[in-house]
Amino acid sequence: MPRVYLLALLLTLVLSSAITVIYVKHESRVLFAELRNTQKLQDHEVIEWGRLQLQNSTLATHSNVESRARKTLKMRIPEKVQLVQLP
Amino acid sequence: MSNGNDETVFYRGRHYFVLLILLFLLASLIARALYLQIVEKDFLFSQGEQRQIRTIETPAYRGTIFDRFGTPLAISTPVDSVWVNPPEILQNLPALKQVTAKLGLNYRDTVALLKQKANKEFVYLRRQLEPELAGQVAAIADGVYLQREYHRYYPAGEVVSHLVGFTNVDDQGQEGLELMYEGWLKAQPGKRRVIRNRRGAVIENLAQVKRARSGNDLTSSIDMRLQYIAYRSLARAMKYHAAKSASAVVLDAKTGEILAMVNQPSYNPNQNKNKSPAQRRNRAITDVFEPGSTIKPFTLAAAIDRGLYDQTSHIDTTPGWFMVSGYPVKDVRNYGVLDLAGILRKSSNVGASRIAQTLQREEMWQSFSDYGFGQTPGISFPAESSGYFSHYSTWQPLDHATMAFGYGLSVSITQLARAYSVIANHGRQLDLSLIKVYPEDVPDNEISRTVMKASTAKMVLQMLEQVVGPQGTATRAAVDGYRIAGKTGTVKKSVDGGYQEDDYMAIFAGMAPASNPRLVMAVVIDEPSQNGYYGGQVAAPVFQEVMSNALRILDIAPDDLSELARSNGVEPGA
Repeated sequence: MPRVYLLALLLTLVLSSAITVIYVKHESRVLFAELRNTQKLQDHEVIEWGRLQLQNSTLATHSNVESRARKTLKMRIPEKVQLVQLP
Repeated sequence: MSNGNDETVFYRGRHYFVLLILLFLLASLIARALYLQIVEKDFLFSQGEQRQIRTIETPAYRGTIFDRFGTPLAISTPVDSVWVNPPEILQNLPALKQVTAKLGLNYRDTVALLKQKANKEFVYLRRQLEPELAGQVAAIADGVYLQREYHRYYPAGEVVSHLVGFTNVDDQGQEGLELMYEGWLKAQPGKRRVIRNRRGAVIENLAQVKRARSGNDLTSSIDMRLQYIAYRSLARAMKYHAAKSASAVVLDAKTGEILAMVNQPSYNPNQNKNKSPAQRRNRAITDVFEPGSTIKPFTLAAAIDRGLYDQTSHIDTTPGWFMVSGYPVKDVRNYGVLDLAGILRKSSNVGASRIAQTLQREEMWQSFSDYGFGQTPGISFPAESSGYFSHYSTWQPLDHATMAFGYGLSVSITQLARAYSVIANHGRQLDLSLIKVYPEDVPDNEISRTVMKASTAKMVLQMLEQVVGPQGTATRAAVDGYRIAGKTGTVKKSVDGGYQEDDYMAIFAGMAPASNPRLVMAVVIDEPSQNGYYGGQVAAPVFQEVMSNALRILDIAPDDLSELARSNGVEPGA
């Protein structure tokens, strides 16, 4: 009789181990999918960052800033007589 | 049924027949299983893996190049190229129509092209697209694929193209910093093995075959604000004087960093077309010329350093010429008796030659070498020139005399600027750098060495201030509110061993503010053909324009407010 119990116990253990393997495998694939998504997101952000950097440097080109300062804002370098030396 | 038992006939033969068939079927099943498991196992295993396991590339970026304040000069951004498998996509023409519309391609031409290449499996429809648009295109149909690539953008375009250089299609540096720091900037894409599901999506990472290594970023010494101003001024001067080419360099006198370096003609590195070697060359570093009068301060410095002269010495240049080995050394006119400052102010060849003749050849050679003539400026830029400066043992008496006023040796504009930085930096010479220098990281004696007495440097600096003063040749280099020191040069170009009568190079090298120089700048304009050709007319105004802006931008305090105070009705020093 005890032999039958032992067999049943081992069978249960083997089965539960098998199910755990399946579960862990599934879990790992879910997590991996999540990792992939996060990586895709990161990729997307990197692309966006590069695009913004380029846009920034295009808009902030010195010639662009200069022509806006001079034409739109009517800025100019002060004449000598307009300079006042602070003590 | 009770007596039916007797009628039951046991067909023994049929029984065994059926049993035999069942056994045979079982045996063949077992045999097949064994065959698959044992004999064909490896083949099937590898076939399965081939369908599921792929080695894919992990992307890595080439490093970004920045200016000293973090403005990007070269950025790699991901782009996608769209490709199709012709036989596959030709079965789905409605989708292809949508794809061509999205890509702005002609549908009929595309179909014709794909039919022509129907035996290929890989045809690019469009290369290097913005990833967002490419993603939309790929979503239209299954037979449209993307390939990730990187495109290198140069936001500053032609303003800094000679310095930054560019990369080729394979993302390898070809010129400039891109080539010089290739190993540092280079990205190494990684490889890993993954399991993919039926739809091609990666579902598991198996192993990393090769680690991806992104390139390192590089912070250059360039100040884009100064670079832009220098570029604009030089381009304007080049056009106004209808010159052949031009270069300018701005150095930080205290650290040896190159703050700006510009050349004309330039090119836009974002466009692959029209790049002739003449446009691509970073002339400021690769091209050499005879420095002419701009070398006179060093002739004087070599003599002053050895105690042969001081600021009270006088030289008689009468009658304005003298003969050396049958050739005349001439001044424009007879300047009579000049002090040392007068020699620079009037740019007297006779005076400079007379001083050089009091020096031994070896002494003069040693001093000039110390100032960096004939030496590379230490940047290790591709094709960096060390100029031409022959050993004193080969000098003829005429060489000795003409080198005093800058003929018979040649320098790059960067070498000339570096030599002037010795005067600016109290006689200490620095290695130049295109990479931002953090002075606290470098012990003083490692980046500079004394090549001129501090007292000599100070004396020469004061003389150079007079050149920009009202009596000098460089009045147009003067900047309001600042004391400027510098020297002009107008050089006849030598072609095939002879000197051209009408071809000149206009040069100016100077520093500011003269009370404690922070910036050194040298400008050379090759063959100005309109509106003058003298260094003081052509090159000095470029210096003036760049310096006046640079001093303001860098917030360097004015050191000459006497005129300002006067115009405000206040006495100087009040």
